Amino acid sequence: MIKAMPTVLATLLAHYRRHPGQLAMLLLGLWVASALWSGIQAINATARDSYARADAMFDSQLDQLERRDGAPLTRAEYYALRQEGLPISPIIEGQVATQDGTRLSIIGIDPLTLPSGNALGQTDTTASLTGFLMPPWQTGIAPDTLATLGLERANAVSATPTLASGKQLPPLTLSPALPPNTLIMDIAAAAQLLEIGEEITRMVTAPGALSEAPPEFTFTRATSLASPGQLTESFHLNLTALGLLAWVVGLFIVQAALGLALEQRMGMLRTLRVLGVSGRSLVVALSLELILLGVIGALAGIASGVWLARVLLPDVAATLGSLYSAGVGQELSLPWHYWVGGLAVSLGGLLLAGSGVLWRAAHLNMLQLGQLQAWRGGYRRQLTLMSIAGAIAFTAALTLYIWLSFQRPGEGLVAGFVLIAALLLASALWLPPLLGLLLKGLIRLAHRRPLIHWAVADMQLQLPKLSLAMMALLVALATNLGVSSMVGGFRITFLDWLDQRLVAPLYLNAPSEQYADIDVWLANRAEVSERLLTRRSEATLTTISTPEGSRSLGTPVELYGITPGESLTPHWPLLATQQDRPSAWAAFGEGAVFVNEQLATAENLTPGDQLTLSASGANETLTIAAIYPDYGNPSGQVLMASPQLAARFDAPPSSMGLVLYDDANVDTLRSALTERFGLGSDALSDQREIKRIATEIFERTFTITRALNALTLVVAALALLASLLAQARSRRQQLAPLWALGVPRAQLAQLNLTQLGGTALVTGLLAVPLGIAITWGLVAIINVAAFGWRLPLYLFPGEMAVTLATAIAVALLAAALPTLRFWRASPRALLAEEANQ
Amino acid sequence: MSLHRWLTLSLLIGGSLTLYGCGEEQKSDTSSAGFAGLGQAADGFQYASPNQTIRFPQDHAAHPDYRIEWWYLTANLEDADGEPLGLQWTLFRQALMPPSERPDPTPWAADQLWMAHMAISQGEQHQVGERFGRSHSQAELYQPHDAQAGVITSPFHAWLDDWQLKASADANSDDFNHLTLTAYSGEDASRFGYTLELTAEGPLVFHGEEGFSQKAANGQGSMYYSQPFWRIDGNVTLNGETKTVSGRGWLDREWSSQLLDARQSGWDWFSIHFEDGHKLMAFQLRGGGDDSGDSGSDNTSTEQGADYRSGTWISPQGDATPLATDDITLTPLATSSVAGRDVPTRWRLEIASLELDINIEAPQANRWMDTSVPYWEGEVLVNDRASGEPLGEGYLEMTGY
Repeated sequence: MIKAMPTVLATLLAHYRRHPGQLAMLLLGLWVASALWSGIQAINATARDSYARADAMFDSQLDQLERRDGAPLTRAEYYALRQEGLPISPIIEGQVATQDGTRLSIIGIDPLTLPSGNALGQTDTTASLTGFLMPPWQTGIAPDTLATLGLERANAVSATPTLASGKQLPPLTLSPALPPNTLIMDIAAAAQLLEIGEEITRMVTAPGALSEAPPEFTFTRATSLASPGQLTESFHLNLTALGLLAWVVGLFIVQAALGLALEQRMGMLRTLRVLGVSGRSLVVALSLELILLGVIGALAGIASGVWLARVLLPDVAATLGSLYSAGVGQELSLPWHYWVGGLAVSLGGLLLAGSGVLWRAAHLNMLQLGQLQAWRGGYRRQLTLMSIAGAIAFTAALTLYIWLSFQRPGEGLVAGFVLIAALLLASALWLPPLLGLLLKGLIRLAHRRPLIHWAVADMQLQLPKLSLAMMALLVALATNLGVSSMVGGFRITFLDWLDQRLVAPLYLNAPSEQYADIDVWLANRAEVSERLLTRRSEATLTTISTPEGSRSLGTPVELYGITPGESLTPHWPLLATQQDRPSAWAAFGEGAVFVNEQLATAENLTPGDQLTLSASGANETLTIAAIYPDYGNPSGQVLMASPQLAARFDAPPSSMGLVLYDDANVDTLRSALTERFGLGSDALSDQREIKRIATEIFERTFTITRALNALTLVVAALALLASLLAQARSRRQQLAPLWALGVPRAQLAQLNLTQLGGTALVTGLLAVPLGIAITWGLVAIINVAAFGWRLPLYLFPGEMAVTLATAIAVALLAAALPTLRFWRASPRALLAEEANQ
Repeated sequence: MSLHRWLTLSLLIGGSLTLYGCGEEQKSDTSSAGFAGLGQAADGFQYASPNQTIRFPQDHAAHPDYRIEWWYLTANLEDADGEPLGLQWTLFRQALMPPSERPDPTPWAADQLWMAHMAISQGEQHQVGERFGRSHSQAELYQPHDAQAGVITSPFHAWLDDWQLKASADANSDDFNHLTLTAYSGEDASRFGYTLELTAEGPLVFHGEEGFSQKAANGQGSMYYSQPFWRIDGNVTLNGETKTVSGRGWLDREWSSQLLDARQSGWDWFSIHFEDGHKLMAFQLRGGGDDSGDSGSDNTSTEQGADYRSGTWISPQGDATPLATDDITLTPLATSSVAGRDVPTRWRLEIASLELDINIEAPQANRWMDTSVPYWEGEVLVNDRASGEPLGEGYLEMTGY
């Protein structure tokens, strides 16, 4: 029997020579599924690699020391601190622009004092310490940053590229451990390049080397520094979910194509069985066929996936960079397990999709002819099973929802995802029974109109083979709706919030000791109507007193002071207040505090609770008057009136918003201010510029979402097309008698399109509430769990209409080809079908 | 003495080998790499030579035109319970480039690399600390806040961070007879370090010819003087516990741009306080001569087949008698296994002209300095070879094992 295997396999594969379209469809499904999946995985793997490199840097591994007043430290002060025995190391940071305009971070280090054991230490293994310390010095650079300098890897080492400023970088050395767009060099080289003189940006020390910060300094512990990994995890989860969806939908295509190929080869299989090929051999041969096709499809898919990732990566990198300051390399970096994993997932999916086919081949009844009515009988049982499974999935979703509502907010990220998955599964499983019910109802309504009655009955017959494709369509539509609503809602919320926060057209950043003088000077300027001074500091939240009792903890929190002026208070968004907005603001002015949603969520705070904050000797117990949204901030924050913050915690000013009268000339004020106080060109920032940057970020996010959404819909359409093609021939068998009875071809074609369009419409209608449910899950559960803040639920009716239209368009498009074939079929062919009946 | 510092420092900047285009393959073997690197890099530096006069206070400060230099203190002390305790404090300086290649003294730019070692040893315990720093020899240096590491005079002050050897508060400005030494490492329970008062009970001693100490047969050498007469009192903290100590110390000052033979595999250096008030310094540079001519074919620095030995016999009044290479015989008698190596911890030292024949033994073998370049450095006891009578104590350092 083993000897016969090649013959059996060749016979099976010969089918595809006669039907190359089926082969193409099968490979297309595999290709699309694995391309999208592996493309997204490639993006994720590259981003994770970049985060890991960034994590290994001192930023996240070393404690940081900064002067309390925010003023930079000088070299002499640093030496004095070293001579007091502090194990600190200086860091100089700045940015330079390459000739193509890319901003690169320059980090100047002193390798002699830097605590060992982080990524910076590794720069010394390839480059000698003397080379690093001595002119012309060296620039450590990751290979994936070379492109920004217009260099190839081959000629990069020792190159001294010229920057936009005309200065040259010290000779390059490659350090793959460095994060993207980050250059490391000796502190002396960085001081020259950045013209920073005697100033130090900050000081670092090994974690735990100092038990407390020296007076006048503040500590940022390594552990409390948010790593980009945390912040970006949700983004990658969304990407992964989309990729997984595309993969599942791609497998629907494969399933349909395989089903078709099997259906058409039934005769051949029976012949083979009759010729003495055992059922087991047949299954083995079919499995081999599957694996062969799978490897080809998967390899092609992975190759295109990598291409896709390369195309999308710059946008993804830019989004992550602007949203979370997380550097992601522009060059793909793929570990070996990526390739193996991609292949395994594709092959696994193929076998999953093909398992039905194999099962049927194994249980092939040699003598039984294909009977559609018998099929239908089996399908009824299947529908019952689907309803039951759907009910189980729905119950699971419901249970999870109930469980989640008893959980502390901010927990249950995984449960949230499972809830959404269960909801999707339940809806997908219920779709065919629901359609079946609908058709049953329609039959009753249409029993007086024979043609419609026939059409509905015929649809019932088609349903078993269409149901999978329709399920795919439902899932694709609902997810698209959900994800795009979330991103859209995020955009609206975030831009609104930005509008509310940035009430002043101009923002001033100056050395903290200058604010007092600037304030006096501005008070006498005619064009300034309000000056909104902000202060920043940090403290430890030591005790929380609620009506239920008090708790002790040691959570670090940010202290943020704002000036509650007329222009600010009406717009500042509040999520919850003790009584109402006016009284909250009144209490705020008198020393009550607001806390951000993140802190309220994490510590389960409500307005009216009391906080005890301690910082540098000061210990203050304050009442929470309100909770406000603070999108994008990873830390807990306590907001208080600027004068209160100054009085209680001696917090230094950090910036000042300037509200101007309508007729004020911004440019005059700007130049007068710059001139009078000798401020740098970047000391004044324009709100419009900040908004422009923020909008750009969201446009990029939208680009990615749109691209991925479009791709998943294309995949869903292909799945539907594959299903329809798979039954095109049997459709002809069904339609031919009607034609023979005198129903015009045009009417039959119309009927055909209406059947499918109607089904798609029902599917699309079902997708709308499901999409809303998914959006809700994303903003209310997953976002809270991932970020600690909740997004308001925004719905976009336009988007829903588009989704419905898309569903119908996709179905009609997919039905067009088989219909066209029927339309074009010669009367002889149709008569032949009739004869076959 | 202390040739191993050259090694240490040149290894610290070991990459300079390739930088300076030495054709030799860099080996992990410390000595040849160190020597070779030094050999290629010395051009453009000032050389130590006989007839050079040592002047004070300026020669207590750094000599940046020379390649290498150190301020080096060892001490044999006792705590209040009479338990012996040894300690070491060393400040090393290495010029990164010859004077003609110095960069401008912009902020942070450096032409001098500094390294400091500290160690406290008592019984089984041996705590070691290490620090690094940088400075620019042409930057203005009036006070410690002007640089991370440096040495100034009038009053004397040598420092790397908070590890400092300086004139005592009540000493007058050029006084080198009353110094304070402080150095601490570690945190909390693992904290160790010392605050010591050093009082000179004898004069400074010049080795070799008026301070020019020859290191090889071809006449190369270093400028080298010592203060072997320190009386030391103070506090030592070990394992977070502070105890009062007293005893004697030995300070070495040496600077050079000297090159060494690439084939020399290491050295052994002894400083000994005899109970009768005499002091002895002796060292040997080991190996090189007997190897078949390989990498170091161009060197002329050692006599073929012989180790280079030298020393100084110092009277209780501070009169120095140089000891010639063939006057000294050094024989290892026993080795101990330390940090995975066999290190000689018992020696026989004979000095023919003095009719001296002594055993020198390290009571504790675990004095391994686990620093950026490791070496052995620890206290030794001296006794008469014939009678076994205890004669004194001192310090021994060994490299290349």
